[in-house]
Amino acid sequence: MLSRTAEGLYWMARYLERAQNGCRLLAEQFIIIEDRPVEQIDQSWRRLYIAAGRTPLGGHLEPPPDDEDFMLADAYTLADDLTFEPTNPDAIRNCFAAARESARQVRNIIPDKMWSALNLAYFDLRDVEIENIWNDQPGTFYERTEGAIRTISGVAEGTIYRDDGWHFLQLGRFVERVQSTAALMDAHIALFPTDAPDCEADWLSLLWISEAHFAYRRLYSLERSPSRMVDFLVTDPSLSHSIRHALGRIVDALDAVAVGPALKIEAERRAGRMVASIDHDWPDRDRWDDDATRAALREIGESCRLLHQDIAAAYFNYEIKDAP
Amino acid sequence: MQRDSRGRPSGDGSEGPADAGRRLFAEYETRPAFYDEMFEASGVPRAHCRQLCEALDEMRPAEIAAMQEYAERSFLHQGITFAVYGEDGAQERIIPIDFLPRLVDAADWDLVERGLRQRLEALNRFLADVYGPGRILEDGVVPVDMVRGCPQYRVEMRGLEVPHGVYVALCGTDIVRTNDGFVVLEDNLRVPSGVSYMLANRRALKTSLRNLFRRHHVRGIEHYGQLLRQTLTELAPPGVSDPCIVLLTPGVYNSAFYEHMFLAQEMGVELVQGSDLLVHNGFVYMRTTAGLKKVDVIYRRIDDDFIDPLAFRPDSQLGTPGLFYAYRLGNVTIANAPGTGVADDKSVYVYVPDMIRYYLGEEPLLANVDTRLCREPEGLEYTLDNLDKLVVKMVGESGGYGMLVGPHATPDQRAAYAEELRKNPANYVSQPVLDLSVSPCLTETGAAPRHVDLRPFVLRGNETRLVPGAFCRVALVEGSLVVNSSQGGGGKDLWVLSE
Repeated sequence: MLSRTAEGLYWMARYLERAQNGCRLLAEQFIIIEDRPVEQIDQSWRRLYIAAGRTPLGGHLEPPPDDEDFMLADAYTLADDLTFEPTNPDAIRNCFAAARESARQVRNIIPDKMWSALNLAYFDLRDVEIENIWNDQPGTFYERTEGAIRTISGVAEGTIYRDDGWHFLQLGRFVERVQSTAALMDAHIALFPTDAPDCEADWLSLLWISEAHFAYRRLYSLERSPSRMVDFLVTDPSLSHSIRHALGRIVDALDAVAVGPALKIEAERRAGRMVASIDHDWPDRDRWDDDATRAALREIGESCRLLHQDIAAAYFNYEIKDAP
Repeated sequence: MQRDSRGRPSGDGSEGPADAGRRLFAEYETRPAFYDEMFEASGVPRAHCRQLCEALDEMRPAEIAAMQEYAERSFLHQGITFAVYGEDGAQERIIPIDFLPRLVDAADWDLVERGLRQRLEALNRFLADVYGPGRILEDGVVPVDMVRGCPQYRVEMRGLEVPHGVYVALCGTDIVRTNDGFVVLEDNLRVPSGVSYMLANRRALKTSLRNLFRRHHVRGIEHYGQLLRQTLTELAPPGVSDPCIVLLTPGVYNSAFYEHMFLAQEMGVELVQGSDLLVHNGFVYMRTTAGLKKVDVIYRRIDDDFIDPLAFRPDSQLGTPGLFYAYRLGNVTIANAPGTGVADDKSVYVYVPDMIRYYLGEEPLLANVDTRLCREPEGLEYTLDNLDKLVVKMVGESGGYGMLVGPHATPDQRAAYAEELRKNPANYVSQPVLDLSVSPCLTETGAAPRHVDLRPFVLRGNETRLVPGAFCRVALVEGSLVVNSSQGGGGKDLWVLSE
């Protein structure tokens, strides 16, 4: 497969995953807004912004979250900023447009049905503005958009031939998932320490955002402990949004792509080390030491960033020393 | 009733009282000045169109309009678009489709097909000759200075052997019909486009008018991609049996990008950009996830000027440095070959019938437009005397640029143009305004005649191949002769009937 094509697919999947994450976070945010006290709503906005590494318009993240400046904006402005703001590269609509543009570059290897699904969702989103969704239930907009992305993934699942193209889609999707999950959990623990009282609803919302609530209830219905939830979201290989599951998919995809230039080994090694670290080192940490947990999460995020570089160096823009 | 921008009935299927019971062809009138593709006279369909006319007449115009609208919407969703550049950057637009097919009977198609085969054969021989021994120039059949002085003449191609002597592997010839028969308007021998719209229009009609389609014996065109791949395979450098073929595109911002990606898909080959390729030790490679892979045949959709910044335009960002060097070594095939543009220059065009006689010893089966060269004194004089009746074109331009349509121009415009013309007569040719044939199109008042042309696509590898079909362009605006997609033209499906 052409390197440029592989890169296009990889980025398409990353952007779609990012847009989908954004939708889930905001859909949950509008549920929180319904029935929670103001301080908690503030905290959950903060969680969103810290996880995204973004400063809200008119505010800033440092000094720490209790600075009053932080919450200068209202929900309307914040939702607009995270969804439609043209200068915010991670705004949902921008992510979606970037995904479509990546897809257009590699349109020749995307099945027609998948392109149609992507294109239709894009046309639906392209001309919407915050005022259009505000008078209705804003939450339904995010649910609908997330549904459209899920449809695209489903069509992809059902139509794409399982060659390298598919594997690079998986790589993009799960690299993005590892990074965003690690960042979200880091932000969450910073705002809602595991031993803080009265945070049960916030921890449950983290499970909802991570598509983990059903499984968690089935497995640990009587044990609503934050540290149990953290372990669940990081280490359970069977939970589709857990870091461990995503890493497993990355390892599988790297294993499946055609043997590339020598550098491929770097990406495989790094992914392997990340898996080993979660399987063997993570349980040894002090479960009640939030700082240690957050440091470990940041370590995962950083490794993932390097993993991205390894993948790019091995497949997309490798150095050419000697032609065959 | 709601009307869309083209004044067609809206596709909601509802009809106001005024439309009740109106039939599609009720008010259709033929005009003797223009050959009508469907009717001999008002109300009298041509023999091969009778069945279709009756079937269409039983459908309500709004029903057909609804199908048409659905097809156009699906073009947009599927990205069957071309880019138009304007103030707001690039916009993705579709080429509107008119749902009333144009029918061509077996005898007419046979003539067109034989004429095209003959023409392409002569043009390829001409190119081999002017880049080789130059017999036709020596014999004075085509003026030397016209060929060697043509900007599209590539001196770099002199003395180069190309596989099977094929310079033009693909062409898209524009043909119109007048009351006197078929006439070739121009041969597009560089990077002709439109074949994807031919196939998209067929797919749309075949889906919507399934029953109608089935009842006619319409010849298939869907195997075009296979023929193209077969053709390119045959043109591989000697000794390469299973060539790696790629399609070279300028990228997603090119107006024909959809077609590039569609053809790559149809052929099952990689769609590459110049930056995906590199030349090493005289061979061309593409950068893949599994390392470098040798490329044997390049179907390029980039103009000569841009394929290799070392050989042609140094400022080109689209090309691959060293590509032409690899080509000269015979290690890669580029289709069409660089330098084919010399044969579709508007003044060289005048000599195509002579080429056919010279190389093949045959009379041309398809006529040329009666064209006058302003480089010749009598041609210049005639052109200046009849400026109000003629179309004047600049020889190196295409797509309607630098053109004067005499009858539609003001006296001032004509005077200004004449002045330019006198300064450099060799740069101009003139032609009569052609009475393009018409074909019924769907409008708000039922079917009405609109001008059409056709562009069949001919392939040449070991042998000449073409599918029985064409991209039929139609001027959707009443009375207009402009069929260009960028200027309000649309497309039609063209049905070639078997016996």
